[in-house]
Amino acid sequence: MTEFVYMRAPWGGAEVRRVEATPEVLSPLMISGWTQCDPPANAEEVTTHVHD
Amino acid sequence: MSTTRLQEVLVCFGKKKQSDIATAQTAADMWRFSKINAALANPKLATENDAEEYGKGHEFPTATFKTAWDVSATLEKYLSAEIGAWAVCFGLGKVVKSGAGPFVYTCTPLIPSAGDAAELPYLSYVEQIRPGAGVVLDRQAVGLAVEGFQITVGSGPGRANSKISVELVGSGKVIDSATGITVPAATTEKLLPSASLTLSINGIDYVTNKNIVSLETGWKNNIRMDAGFFPGSGFQTAGDGSTGAIRGRLEFGNRAGNLKFVARFMNGSDEYTKLKAQTSGTAVITLAYDANNSLQLTWQKITYSVVEIAETDQVLTVSVECLPMYDSTNGILTAVGKTTVDAICQ
Repeated sequence: MTEFVYMRAPWGGAEVRRVEATPEVLSPLMISGWTQCDPPANAEEVTTHVHD
Repeated sequence: MSTTRLQEVLVCFGKKKQSDIATAQTAADMWRFSKINAALANPKLATENDAEEYGKGHEFPTATFKTAWDVSATLEKYLSAEIGAWAVCFGLGKVVKSGAGPFVYTCTPLIPSAGDAAELPYLSYVEQIRPGAGVVLDRQAVGLAVEGFQITVGSGPGRANSKISVELVGSGKVIDSATGITVPAATTEKLLPSASLTLSINGIDYVTNKNIVSLETGWKNNIRMDAGFFPGSGFQTAGDGSTGAIRGRLEFGNRAGNLKFVARFMNGSDEYTKLKAQTSGTAVITLAYDANNSLQLTWQKITYSVVEIAETDQVLTVSVECLPMYDSTNGILTAVGKTTVDAICQ
C-alpha cells in the first residue's frame, strides 16, 4: 500500500504537499529544504504531487 | 570486596531527540541496547591554574579553575534494523517518518543553504552499573550528537560480519550521580546479517554476480567542537560560573561520506575501466531481516577514486574506493530505515 506524507515548503513557506513516501519522491524535496509536517486542517484541499 | 565486571554496564540513550541541547531526557524517551565495545563515555574536565599569574610572589600554582567539560562515546554493535535506523536518523539529521507499523524513516543530510539547521538532533546517553543501593556508576551525558557512523559487511555467517560503529560527541553537560533514570528493558533487535545483502554499485549487481567480498560505508559530520563554546554557552551547573563551561551548540562541519568495497576480479570486471573514464552512478546497499526490518543506503552519485588489484585468501580481488558526490537532484545520500519501532528521532 502506498504511504503518503505531508511536506512543508522550505524557509517556513506556507505551501504543503501530500506526496508519496518513497525515497525517489522524498529525496529531491528533502534536500531542497522541504520538511515533514502535520496534515493541514482540511487535508482534502491539498494538491497531491506524486511525481515531483 | 566484589569486582565489577564491565559486562554489568547498562547503556540506554535517546530514541527520541532532546527538546534542546541542554535538556536531559527521561527514561520514557530512551531505549536500551547491548554493545560489543568496552569503552565507557568518560566525561573529561579540563582545568587551568594561576601558575603564570603575577603578584603571588612565586611561580607555583595556588589555585585551580574548572575550564570546560568534554564527553564522547563510541557504540559498536552488530547491525540491526533498530540501531541502523537510529544511526541514520541522528547521524544525517533530516528525517521523514511514514507508515503505521512498520515505520519507515527516510533520512538525508541537512542542507543549511536550503533552510535546514546546522545542528543535528541531540540525545542523552546513560551508563549505569548496579543502580540502586550498591551503585557503582550512574551518570547521564546530556546533549550528544552523532559525529559519524560506519557500517562494515564481511564474508562469513557470524554476526561479526555485519557491524556498525557510531561515534557520539557531547556538549559536556553531565549528571554524574543519581540520574533518576530507570534503564528500560533491553530492546529486541532484528539483526541485519551479511547474508541478506543486496548491492548494486555503478551499474553492477555484485551479489547476483557472487563477486562481493566485503564493503564498508559511512558518514562523518566533523562537528565543530570548539565552536560550541561561545559567549553565553552555559555552565555545568546553570548560573554557577565555577563549574566549568559547556557547549551551547554542536554544528556539523565539512561532512563527508565514504564507500569502499572488495570484489572478486574476473574476466570482464570493469572497475578499472570506470576509474579511467570516471564513470559515475549510484550505489545502493540493502540489508534486511525481513519485509518489516531493513536498512538501505543509496549513494546518489559515486565515482571510483582508487582501484587496486589485490588478493583475498589467494583469490584475485579488486579493492575499490568510491568518492560519494552531490547529485543536483537527489543530493548525496538517502538512507531508509524500516523497523517496527515508532518515534525514532521524533
